Amino acid sequence: MTTTVAGPTRRLMEGSEAIALASIAAGCRFFAGYPMTPFTEVLEHFARCLPEVGGTCINAESELEAVGMTWGALATGARAATGSTGQGLSLMQESFAEISLAELPLVIFNLARNQGDYFQATRGGGHGDYRHVVLAPLDITETVELTQLAFHLADQWRNPVLVYGDYLTAHVQESVTIEPINFGSVPAKDWAVDGSRTGTGDARLLSPLGIAKVGTEPVGIEAHLRRMTAKQAEIQRRETRVETGFVDDAETVVVAFGSPARFVRAAVRELRATGERIGYVRPITLWPFPSDAVAAAADGVRTVATFELCAGQMIDDVRLAVLGRAPVVGIGGISTDGSGFGVGQLLDVERVRERILAVHRGGPDAELPALPDNERALW
Amino acid sequence: MSDDTSTATLSRKDFQSDQEIRWCPGCGDYSILAAVQLLLPDLGVKPENLVFVSGIGCAARFPYYMNVYGLHGIHGRAPAIATGVALARPDLDVWVIGGDGDMFSIGGNHLIHALRRNVNLTILMFNNQIYGLTKGQYSPTSEVGKVTKSSPFGSLDTPFNPISVTLGAEATFVARTHDLDRKHMVETFRRAHDHHGAAFVEVYQNCNVFNDGAFGAITNKEHRAEMLIELHDGEPIRFGADAELGVALNRFGECEIVTVADVGVDRLLVHDEHRGDPTLAFALSRLADRPTMPTPIGVFRDVARPTYEGEVQRQLVGAADRQGPGDLEALVGSGATWTVD
Repeated sequence: MTTTVAGPTRRLMEGSEAIALASIAAGCRFFAGYPMTPFTEVLEHFARCLPEVGGTCINAESELEAVGMTWGALATGARAATGSTGQGLSLMQESFAEISLAELPLVIFNLARNQGDYFQATRGGGHGDYRHVVLAPLDITETVELTQLAFHLADQWRNPVLVYGDYLTAHVQESVTIEPINFGSVPAKDWAVDGSRTGTGDARLLSPLGIAKVGTEPVGIEAHLRRMTAKQAEIQRRETRVETGFVDDAETVVVAFGSPARFVRAAVRELRATGERIGYVRPITLWPFPSDAVAAAADGVRTVATFELCAGQMIDDVRLAVLGRAPVVGIGGISTDGSGFGVGQLLDVERVRERILAVHRGGPDAELPALPDNERALW
Repeated sequence: MSDDTSTATLSRKDFQSDQEIRWCPGCGDYSILAAVQLLLPDLGVKPENLVFVSGIGCAARFPYYMNVYGLHGIHGRAPAIATGVALARPDLDVWVIGGDGDMFSIGGNHLIHALRRNVNLTILMFNNQIYGLTKGQYSPTSEVGKVTKSSPFGSLDTPFNPISVTLGAEATFVARTHDLDRKHMVETFRRAHDHHGAAFVEVYQNCNVFNDGAFGAITNKEHRAEMLIELHDGEPIRFGADAELGVALNRFGECEIVTVADVGVDRLLVHDEHRGDPTLAFALSRLADRPTMPTPIGVFRDVARPTYEGEVQRQLVGAADRQGPGDLEALVGSGATWTVD
């Protein structure tokens, strides 16, 4: 018997393609980028798909130009995005800072080599006082949702939103459905450089300095920056997203985000099934960081463990949230394949489980199982 | 304010903003601003369809003073930002304003790529051969030996010749004008605007505070006849108070100054701005190393090549023709699909 699945097409695809198609579903019609592993395929999928819906994708001469072109497209009111790997995003930071202050709804994809771009993503890697909303998807299904949410939040807040994925996000294939998701309405883009005269006076000059033009009171840089600060506080109040599991009676809580959180969640579920009182917290937004959820989960536990595929950066935010309620210890670390990508031996549920169990049994000072030497370098 | 603007009744005043202009008194930028504002009512473009994009520098303040849409970006990136505007909205009339630091130092890469792609931009580069906003450091167009606060023993850097660089970058329109000749500026800007594709105009601009008189030897009224060589398409290149001087090619294909009476009119180079090969335009650009020698002004090159936006649109139409008007469901279903048995 043949069963034809009703409804929208469900297809096996890698995350890079899902990002491009989910962006298109969200109305993105402009993308510019520059190749860099493991981001490259995102650019290639946009290049193939955008023209089919009347959009434009440019392989720019550098990351500097890619973000500049996207800046220009955003200014016209288009939904537009750029992306790279953390290294490429380092080059774009100056523009990110100014685009944030110019209040343009930029969406950025970081298909990172590991989780060591956490500070870059969450601290506002450039100059000045700004933050980006940072969304960290667990798997490809969530990537489809958070990619679309990114465009919505960017428009809603007139603030850049960064989707922080990694090698697995880019290249793992999952069966997904991609349909436009309705997150509600967003404010009209009455500021856009769009050939209309319906804008406000402010709209006539898109400047990071908040300078107004004809017919409006000048805002002034100081007032503009204070307004940005107030906006960030409001985003923090309203846009925190987090998933927690088994934290109510937990003695050990593990905090992890992105693809590695999938391994942590699987390990914690297995350990729960054997009766171990372990829970997990998975920040979905890295900024705003779900400090309240982490603090609540940490109340009364023996150990808070963080699992990151890097030397440990999110652990700072966890410590700030826990504020001494419990000891916080990192159980992740550097873990790469032979090419230096963060998909090494730690991305293994068995090893993750061993490490969680080590701190669960031995507390924060427990010795972690050693990792065997990495395989031969590929070059 | 109405949603639509008729262009018939526009005047210079309609393009002036109410912002206090913060350039030093006597700056050449004022006359360039005036020339642009004089020209715009003639172009038949609605103010709301005009976008002036700038980076950082004295010249980059230009959009503040225009009553049209403006984008103030960051140092060097204006050509990239303008490319994004032009690609997202090919119907808008996009101008890029910057100085020699903005466009030839930090933004050199963006400029040459916008030019080679032939994005439909009108690019005005105010060349004062100095960094003005940061109060007087040498720029990539400053002369060798230039003593500034950041080069107290004299600059060691060979300067760019902006006309040569942009010709080398495959620009389809390259011109030069100067801030003391409003009529020449207006006509040069008009030509640049009418060009389909990336149009680059170098404007010699006096910075009267940090590099006063850099172009005085050629642009002051008393020197112009002998020192400025006005290029006119299809005409032998002549200059001098009595047109007694001219430009001819030597046996190496280089341009040299000749006395017409000595060589005869027939030996003079006839200017052809539409030549597909940029060699002659390049040779003209090498005539003067520095603005202390007879220097060509006007349009060096004006050739037709498809614009980047036009080619992008052509590909979009091609994609739609091949696959029909795209929709998301078709895209999602365009890979391998199967039914479950």
